[in-house]
Amino acid sequence: MIANRVRFETTHTTEFVDITNRLRDEVRRSGMRMGRLHLQSLHTTLGLAVNENEPLLLRDFEGMLARLAPANAGYEHDDFARRFDIALDEPVNGHAHCRQLLLTGFATVLVEDSELVLGRWQSVFAVELDGPRHRELAIQLDGEFASPPRSPGKAAPLAKRARNGGGNGAGNIGHDLIELELARQLLVDPGPVSEPMRRLVEAGGKRLRPKLVQLTAGIGPRSEPLRAASLAAAVELLHNATLIHDDYVDESTHRRGRPTVAAAEGPERAIAVGDYYFAKATRLIAEIGNRAVTSTIAEALDAICASQIDDVALRGRYPGDHDSYLRVVRGKTAALFAAACASGALLSEASPEIVASLRRYGDLLGVAFQMVDDLVDFSPSSGKPVGLDIRQRVLSLPLIYAAEDRKVGPEIRRLLEGNLGDAEVGRVADLVASSDALERVRGEAQALVDAAVRELETIELDGWRPTLIRLAHSAVDRLS
Amino acid sequence: MSVHLLDRELDRLEGLWEDGLSDAYRSYLDAVAAYEPALQPKLALAAALVEMGLRLQGLGGPAAAPPTLLMGDLCLARSSRLLAGAAPQSVQITFARAIEEMSAAAAAGRAAPATRELLLRALEAR
Repeated sequence: MIANRVRFETTHTTEFVDITNRLRDEVRRSGMRMGRLHLQSLHTTLGLAVNENEPLLLRDFEGMLARLAPANAGYEHDDFARRFDIALDEPVNGHAHCRQLLLTGFATVLVEDSELVLGRWQSVFAVELDGPRHRELAIQLDGEFASPPRSPGKAAPLAKRARNGGGNGAGNIGHDLIELELARQLLVDPGPVSEPMRRLVEAGGKRLRPKLVQLTAGIGPRSEPLRAASLAAAVELLHNATLIHDDYVDESTHRRGRPTVAAAEGPERAIAVGDYYFAKATRLIAEIGNRAVTSTIAEALDAICASQIDDVALRGRYPGDHDSYLRVVRGKTAALFAAACASGALLSEASPEIVASLRRYGDLLGVAFQMVDDLVDFSPSSGKPVGLDIRQRVLSLPLIYAAEDRKVGPEIRRLLEGNLGDAEVGRVADLVASSDALERVRGEAQALVDAAVRELETIELDGWRPTLIRLAHSAVDRLS
Repeated sequence: MSVHLLDRELDRLEGLWEDGLSDAYRSYLDAVAAYEPALQPKLALAAALVEMGLRLQGLGGPAAAPPTLLMGDLCLARSSRLLAGAAPQSVQITFARAIEEMSAAAAAGRAAPATRELLLRALEAR
């Protein structure tokens, strides 16, 4: 028996890759006369099919898959807020997994007289469902060989995976390091502070900021995964510390599906826990011993706190305007995204040009992320109550746009001036949804992501570009 | 010590200057005398901001109202920024440990050591 791998790159989101000739070559090189060629996809979004290679028919197949599992049908798999152990490079691809279920991951083709046994119109396809990507198929040739089987090629060690491939690649290893570091840090803290923080950390979260640290810390010449994990965990703790205080300020009762620290244990405990992890995170960062990194994070923290003050002040002029919104969001959300990207790159001693580009990438991504977060407030399938931002008078771009709308704006502004009970919040949410505000915000977020991706085009990223691009797209694909 | 040197650091916190921040600042000036002259006002202000921030937040006592808490948060963040730019690594770490100690005590309902005492000790960690 001979085992081997067939590797190829796909170039489209959905693509039928005809691998028949590749398989014929494998049979020829092996010297097999009679037997079976077993074929297995090594990915959960790459299927196999035996059918006719006729371009219009392939378009028919593609259309059929899109009809049966539409990309925008809303898949629970894509709700990262509710998932655990999300890989570093996790894409939004519930539809692709569902489409794969309609195909097969395994195939066997008979071999006779050293030829594949296929009908006149039959070809073997690898069906890309979430491309473009690097893909691998495992094959085994089992039967009678004309001569002792020769290894048709050097197989890569199974443990070694491409950075941007599926499975347990570098992304998962990095993710595990962050989780281990977070757990390790919480383990040594006193119970009254660590227990509330552990509940928050274990409740999930997308871990976008630590992911950005870890990705960008691999870019420069000095890549040290453990230092990067320490910085990434500190950034996540800092983010969570700000959330604990925010939840008290916003009077939020739940976060990530669990009671907030303020709601469960009172505001005094929430203030103490937030302060503890603010201090601990800044200490962990200081202990890394890179002044540029320390300053980058400290400046972001200053911007976050200043914007929080602006945010609360703007609630008196609710819903505010586009410029005020952008100013607040740049500080409140984008500052830490930008600092995460810049600090990772600084840690790895990347060049100033790369640090600057990644900082801009993070800033644009952070603003886009917040805009999509605003859209989630109007999505019935998000798992959160619709209109929570309206009820708490939190700045929201869809609401700002809808309030400026000639048709629905006057009623929205009138409702916002009064008390916001369930009926009023529901009515405002309906009015926003009936306007073009959601579409405008989605378009604006997409444009920001496109701009973020363009920031990556001119710099050398040591192979991390595809992952950073996917991460950027995932920020706006949360609703698609 | 000229307060003009601290203009940028006091951005948005000007109102606190007459409300106790200047007194706290002056009380730390002696403790920073051993540092380079250019660093002294920044380090004294960093310590004063921590003291003021924790007081505004109500750490260890009744929780501050949300707007006051946010002002306290900004004091701590500004202090952190000042230390990142001006303090030796050992001082940054000791400052952080002081806040960890006080907030852990507050979370546990224990009496915390006096803030000024801890911060004065932190400034000696150069």
